[in-house]
Amino acid sequence: MWGDPDTAIGGNRDRFPSTQVSLIASAAGEPLAMERVVALYWKPIYKFIRFKFHKDNEAAKDLTQGFFASALERDFFQRFDPSKAGFRTYLRLAVERFAATQHEAENRQKRGGGVEFAELEDHSASTASPEEIFLQEWRRQLFVLAIEDLRAACAAAGKHTEWLVFEAYDLAEGERPSYAELARRHGVAETSVTNYLAWARGRLRGFVTGRLRGVTSGERELREEMRRLWT
Amino acid sequence: MDLNVELSDSVLQHLREVADLPDLTGTRYQLQEEIGRGGLGVVYAARDTQLDRRVAIKVMDAAWAGEARLIARLEHPGIVPVYESGTLPDGRVFYAMKLVAGAHADGYLAGNPPLGERLRVVQRVGEALAYAHNCGVLHRDLKPRNVMVGPFGEVYVMDWGVEGVAGTPAFRAPETSLDQRSDVYALGALLVFMLPADAPPALGAIAAKAMRRQPEERYPDVAAVLREIGRFQDGLAVEAHAESPWQRVRRLAKRNEVLLWLLAAYAGVKFLLFFARSF
Repeated sequence: MWGDPDTAIGGNRDRFPSTQVSLIASAAGEPLAMERVVALYWKPIYKFIRFKFHKDNEAAKDLTQGFFASALERDFFQRFDPSKAGFRTYLRLAVERFAATQHEAENRQKRGGGVEFAELEDHSASTASPEEIFLQEWRRQLFVLAIEDLRAACAAAGKHTEWLVFEAYDLAEGERPSYAELARRHGVAETSVTNYLAWARGRLRGFVTGRLRGVTSGERELREEMRRLWT
Repeated sequence: MDLNVELSDSVLQHLREVADLPDLTGTRYQLQEEIGRGGLGVVYAARDTQLDRRVAIKVMDAAWAGEARLIARLEHPGIVPVYESGTLPDGRVFYAMKLVAGAHADGYLAGNPPLGERLRVVQRVGEALAYAHNCGVLHRDLKPRNVMVGPFGEVYVMDWGVEGVAGTPAFRAPETSLDQRSDVYALGALLVFMLPADAPPALGAIAAKAMRRQPEERYPDVAAVLREIGRFQDGLAVEAHAESPWQRVRRLAKRNEVLLWLLAAYAGVKFLLFFARSF
């Protein structure tokens, strides 16, 4: 988007530095829930900040990390009221306020020091709004995490072929192999390929729901988020 | 197995599509294609392999199974009949229903039907609503896209909502706690939508009363709206509309049109006979 690559933080196995997890976990008092929030929202927030405030990779990372640290210090997560807004919206608005304040302070400092703020170029390459990017990254991260869960479940249950079929077909970039080709490759019947895919997709959906359940305030919000995810 | 997932937009879109598809393995249905999404779930076309016919399969979250079962029990000519229900391997529930052919109300209006036909559609919708209310079920999301007019003129009210369904802004009553009068509001909005630009003011007045901001100022129930529309069709005064003397004369004249024509013909004949005798 801006010529420098996105951060790997929030991506997969090394989603966030372990020090950050422990900082957040100990401060929030609910390690699992907090870890889930960070796992799911780190990357969408980072992308949102990059796009909305035209920050480079490192600046966006610092702001994202700063947001989580500030949120914990100020009991931000405890102040969430589900009757007023969904958690995702609450989080995005808070990020926007936080980043805008930081951005303005930075600009003031630069102006005071006689340094012109140079806006990064090429930020208009995408036609999506920062809010749409936030939503899309949220969807993407949900699926990334659910795929990790699926992979772990397959490994634990010895369902290696099921995973390989799913990986080869549903995670394929470009042209997908045919069911017949997959059946030959793994020495199974073609009907088994469709059954494996149906099983893996069903489990994937379950893991997506589970991930969402960990970051929503109740059944109603969960249902609304599920609708937002699939439509 | 090692994984380093970087999902492109195209793979993400594919996953969103396939992970949402219902797994109908073990049922008599073969999935065909998605035909709609509503407040309660997603509707697919499927083939019933035992009876060799197309059906609609509605898939919804398991959390709504209780209220959805209540909706499935509704039996009325204006409500799509449910053939069978079941649970998918992932816990979602599904209903196999009649696959209704026809046009949604907005598409139906594109054919510019006469006023009487438009009112007939609103009345059929109202009858289905009144029946459902008697069974303790609200629609919660009545709008033109949820009204289907079939090739034989049959009218179906579809996509019955459950607690928590947000509704559609233009047709949704302003109150947050919904009851029968919230559906009365939506029926009024539907009436407005169905009326032509030159509709008689009495019909606009009925819709306006049904859509009053305060629920207690609306018609108390759907039956009262239907009675008002019936009075309009019978040429009687509509309670929601204060007529001017001229409007009253016009309505009475229209209501007694045949009698007036007979009287005019009688007067004309008498007049001709009078002149015939004079000469």
